[in-house]
Amino acid sequence: MQPPILELNHITKTFPGVTALDDVHFDIRPGEVHALLGENGAGKSTLIKVASGVYEPDSGEIIIGGQPVRFGSPRDAQAHGIATIYQELLLYPELSVAENIFMGHAPRTRLGAIDWATMRSRSLEILASLNIDDMDVTRKVGSLTVGNRQRVEIAKALSMNARVLIMDEPTAAITESDVERLFSIIELLKQRGVGIVYISHRLNEVFDIGDRVTVLRDGRYIATEPVDQMTEDKLVSMMVGRTIDNLFPKLDAQVGKVVLEVRNLTRKRVAHDVSFQLREGEIVGMAGLVGSGRSEIAQVIFGFTPAHAGSILVDGREVRITTPGQAMRYGIAYLPEDRGTQGLIRQMDLRANTSITVLRALSRATFINRQKETQLAHSTIQQLSIRAYGPQQLVGKLSGGNQQKVVVGKWLATRPRVLIVDEPTRGIDVGAKAEIHRLMSELAQQGMAILMISSEMPEILGMSDRILVMREGRLVAEFSRAEATQENIGLAMMGDIGNNGKSINSQLDGVEWQA
Amino acid sequence: MASITQTVSARRQRFSPSSILRSVLGSQESVLLLALILLIVWVGSENRQFLATRNMVNVFAGNAYIAIAALGMTMVIITGNIDISVGSLMVTLSMLSGAISVYEGYPSWVSTDLTIALAWVLPVIVGALVGAIIGFIVTYLRIPAIVVTLGFLSILKGLLIIVSGGDRITGMPKGYALAQIRPLEDVSMPIFPAFFQTLTMPVFFMVILTILVALWMRYSPTGRALYAVGGNAEAARLSGISRHRVVMTAFILNGVFVGIAAVMNATQFSVIQVTLPPIELTIITATVVGGVSILGGTGTVVGAMLAAIFLNTITKALVFLDISPFWTRAIQGMLILITVLADLYRRHRQSA
Amino acid sequence: MTAHETSQTRIAPAWTQQLRAVLRSQESVLLFITVIAVLILSTQTDKFLTVRNLLNQGRLMTEIGLIALPMTYIIVTGGIDLSVGSIAGLSAIMLGYGWYNLGLPLELAIVLALGIGALAGFANGLFIVLFRVPPLIMTLATLAFYRGLAEGIAQARSVRDYPEWFYALGQRETLGIPNQLYFLVIAAIITAIILSRTTFGRSLYAIGNNELAARFSGIPVRRNKLIIYTLSGFMSGFAGYVLVSRVSTTRSDMGSGWELDAIAAVVLGGTSIFGGSGSIVGTMIGLVLIQLLKNGLALTGVTGDATIVVIGSVLILSTLINSVIQRRVEGL
Repeated sequence: MQPPILELNHITKTFPGVTALDDVHFDIRPGEVHALLGENGAGKSTLIKVASGVYEPDSGEIIIGGQPVRFGSPRDAQAHGIATIYQELLLYPELSVAENIFMGHAPRTRLGAIDWATMRSRSLEILASLNIDDMDVTRKVGSLTVGNRQRVEIAKALSMNARVLIMDEPTAAITESDVERLFSIIELLKQRGVGIVYISHRLNEVFDIGDRVTVLRDGRYIATEPVDQMTEDKLVSMMVGRTIDNLFPKLDAQVGKVVLEVRNLTRKRVAHDVSFQLREGEIVGMAGLVGSGRSEIAQVIFGFTPAHAGSILVDGREVRITTPGQAMRYGIAYLPEDRGTQGLIRQMDLRANTSITVLRALSRATFINRQKETQLAHSTIQQLSIRAYGPQQLVGKLSGGNQQKVVVGKWLATRPRVLIVDEPTRGIDVGAKAEIHRLMSELAQQGMAILMISSEMPEILGMSDRILVMREGRLVAEFSRAEATQENIGLAMMGDIGNNGKSINSQLDGVEWQA
Repeated sequence: MASITQTVSARRQRFSPSSILRSVLGSQESVLLLALILLIVWVGSENRQFLATRNMVNVFAGNAYIAIAALGMTMVIITGNIDISVGSLMVTLSMLSGAISVYEGYPSWVSTDLTIALAWVLPVIVGALVGAIIGFIVTYLRIPAIVVTLGFLSILKGLLIIVSGGDRITGMPKGYALAQIRPLEDVSMPIFPAFFQTLTMPVFFMVILTILVALWMRYSPTGRALYAVGGNAEAARLSGISRHRVVMTAFILNGVFVGIAAVMNATQFSVIQVTLPPIELTIITATVVGGVSILGGTGTVVGAMLAAIFLNTITKALVFLDISPFWTRAIQGMLILITVLADLYRRHRQSA
Repeated sequence: MTAHETSQTRIAPAWTQQLRAVLRSQESVLLFITVIAVLILSTQTDKFLTVRNLLNQGRLMTEIGLIALPMTYIIVTGGIDLSVGSIAGLSAIMLGYGWYNLGLPLELAIVLALGIGALAGFANGLFIVLFRVPPLIMTLATLAFYRGLAEGIAQARSVRDYPEWFYALGQRETLGIPNQLYFLVIAAIITAIILSRTTFGRSLYAIGNNELAARFSGIPVRRNKLIIYTLSGFMSGFAGYVLVSRVSTTRSDMGSGWELDAIAAVVLGGTSIFGGSGSIVGTMIGLVLIQLLKNGLALTGVTGDATIVVIGSVLILSTLINSVIQRRVEGL
């Protein structure tokens, strides 16, 4: 076993009010894929930012090749061969592939001018070494698909002689064929002795390509183990601190009539021919990879983006929904995926955030009744046990779990009949997660129809009465609570066949549908 | 070995028919060149006088100082900023140039030639200084460029009026009139001799400076850094590019080019006026129509130069087409709009 | 709490105690500065503190004031409108053109001018909302385009000799107060109430802070933006009308530079150029302060042109102070 390229020992990093990392250890050996697991807020992104020189640790040491080093800036880390590929790809859309690969360290001619020809040929060399031979290096990066852009990022890292490549959720936004190509590239990199730090929420990927796995929880180091000695249950319990069952207090609710139905709903290039029903009292889980069209369909139902074909029926009657306001009038509520940028206005206080959806109800002749507004805020805080010191607290300062409760609260105020929640417990600590799940169960008991979009398998399995699976924009399978297992959902998500008997949309013609 | 096939495919990529076609039709520069030629031909067919030598020279030389100022504006806009104070700055520097040349209080050892040299060079230096101040406020004090330059627009305009009292400057010494020199006057040219011989200095400055700047922006790392900062500021930071330095450079160079343009403008006629129509708009129009996206990150100075010529051609053409020149500004505004919409549309299609 | 502070607390949207204090302090500081300025000016020259002069200043500041009101709305949403001066000029020209060239009855010409203003603002809003053109660029383009239209239509001619009643708005008084000032005050009161107390006003703050979240919350973002830009155009048209009535003539360069004064007043009044905060009260104080500056400089012999030096500096300085304060408080 070779000595590690990079070691992070006893790393502690705090920010005002929160300890992001507490005595964490991590190391990466040449030619290995070392997965880094943990829930959101566990400290993964802080750790990789320490490794890549964006943050300096408060204490602990970084060791490269046996020597302690200090990274004063990301450039220092890059100079030592550590490259990071973030989820938001950091590329220049208007510049060519070659220039993107070599920006900041372009090859020069003897006179000091930029040597474009060498830049192009070396770019091609690097790409070829990754078995990528179908990329035109003179094309603008902005015109490439996400999968291709990711490959440009990898080439960029190699152009700086990266020995450690950190990948943050690399498969989150790419198609399934891109994932395959990514894995084969990773294989090539392994053979060349590059160490890969792999962050992902997809446990199956960890088992597919991981050699070792390290788990963090709440900023603390839990364990590092070889992947072949782990099981999914063990990993999840390490990440979460308890076994799966305790997490989801699902209560039984009586399922009533169909409240919402979508028929052949289509939005060009993101969702095709989707049809399903939602009934009072049921929680329908929607599983699928990122990019499979779940949020997109939800946003169409919510009127945020228009549908290009198909229809929406509320209580059996077809309706036209072209704005969120209209959706709200039909009793539909949508809690967006990205709490911070889409769900809340962080610069405003709790009172303003909880009232924003029901301003009209709180006002007379458009004049807002401040008293009613404050009352609403107080009752929301109470009902949802939000930990804040009052309606005047800026929501930006609340913790993730409490922020999500504010979002829930603001939508509950509209007394919806259909609640669409998109990743309801992403980035929330375990305690708050359970609270939100309990809340959802109670709401279902009260007759609300809930569509729960989630990427967390335990959540899908634990909370749903029915499970719909989307893949590449189509609804490919439906499972009842009883017949659902991780395997068949996973298979449906990733691309074999949906289960035959109950599969909705049997147009599984195997044609690769372009993203 | 892999290398041979790579070199071959690299060369093949550069000259493939699709990439050539793409670069011919896809670039704003070639569209502009085409439009310019077509416009000249069309107006010439409507009114032959348009093609007369004196008028053609005017078409190309009359706006040259705008094109020079557009070089600096290109750099500023590529980094994602803007400068609407350039008009006021240019007038101020023109006045400065004239004032230096006619000042009577020099010690006796200062010759006229030295005075003239100072009058040509000092405005450029002052322009760079003003650019540095603006750049500093934008980068280190983090005030949006639109606000800073909106403020400077009036600060400069007001200071100018206070200092000059609204007077004009006349009586510049002989030899001062840099812009009136005709470099090719005594050179016999094979084609269009009358045209080339009548061409004045500003055109040469324009062409040479454009070429120099274009080369710099293509081959120097700082030149490319302009595109990086404007294209993705976060990525640029992580590439080790200092955004502050790059933006400061852009504003300083902008000041330099405004200074050069001011000297061209000042030495054009025998009188230097305080009043000037708001040319910042013309400069910005030229830059934007020239393909420099107002959102930053893309565009070339060649395009800006061609657009400046194109705009001037339109203005001059209006006279020959019997359309009132008062419609110039309306046409400018419309051109900006069309170009911006087209750019937004292109980006929308690209990312979809 | 003094009456002033109570009103401040009610006008500012719900913020933490800290932020409220800061905002309060900025407007109070401004008020304080204004009072000081008044005192200084009145000691420098005895022509200043006369009722006649003060009322006249009120008359002079009406045009910018009218424009600064919707400009506040626009900047609160994180946008900007650089074309206000050009719209004012265009409306002024259309007034003259409609009456003199087209032979319309003067009342109709006035309506035409106001309608053109609103239409111009609507066009701005349409492109900004539908085609997602950034407001800076759109209004920069229309700054040129509308001014160009004005110049083209006017052909450097000016229209004069309006009937007597036409000058009443711009040059006469009622109960001793200049007529246009009534309009300004009423407009200020209405816009202030709307911004601070109504659902519409609240939506503007939401849009300015996080437009995406506002949309996801069911706020009719596009409709509201369209409204404020149209309103801005209309007010610019109205301001143009007031100007023509005041100076008895129409010229195509009318309204030049108004955008600077209006934006300066708004920013000086505490509205953040990045959007999300601000008030009409602040804008009005800023307006008064700027007018005082102009008046003071004029009375002590400095020419009108030079005052724009001061305005320009004021704009930069107040933006700087604003953003420093905001960054210190936000830290989110």
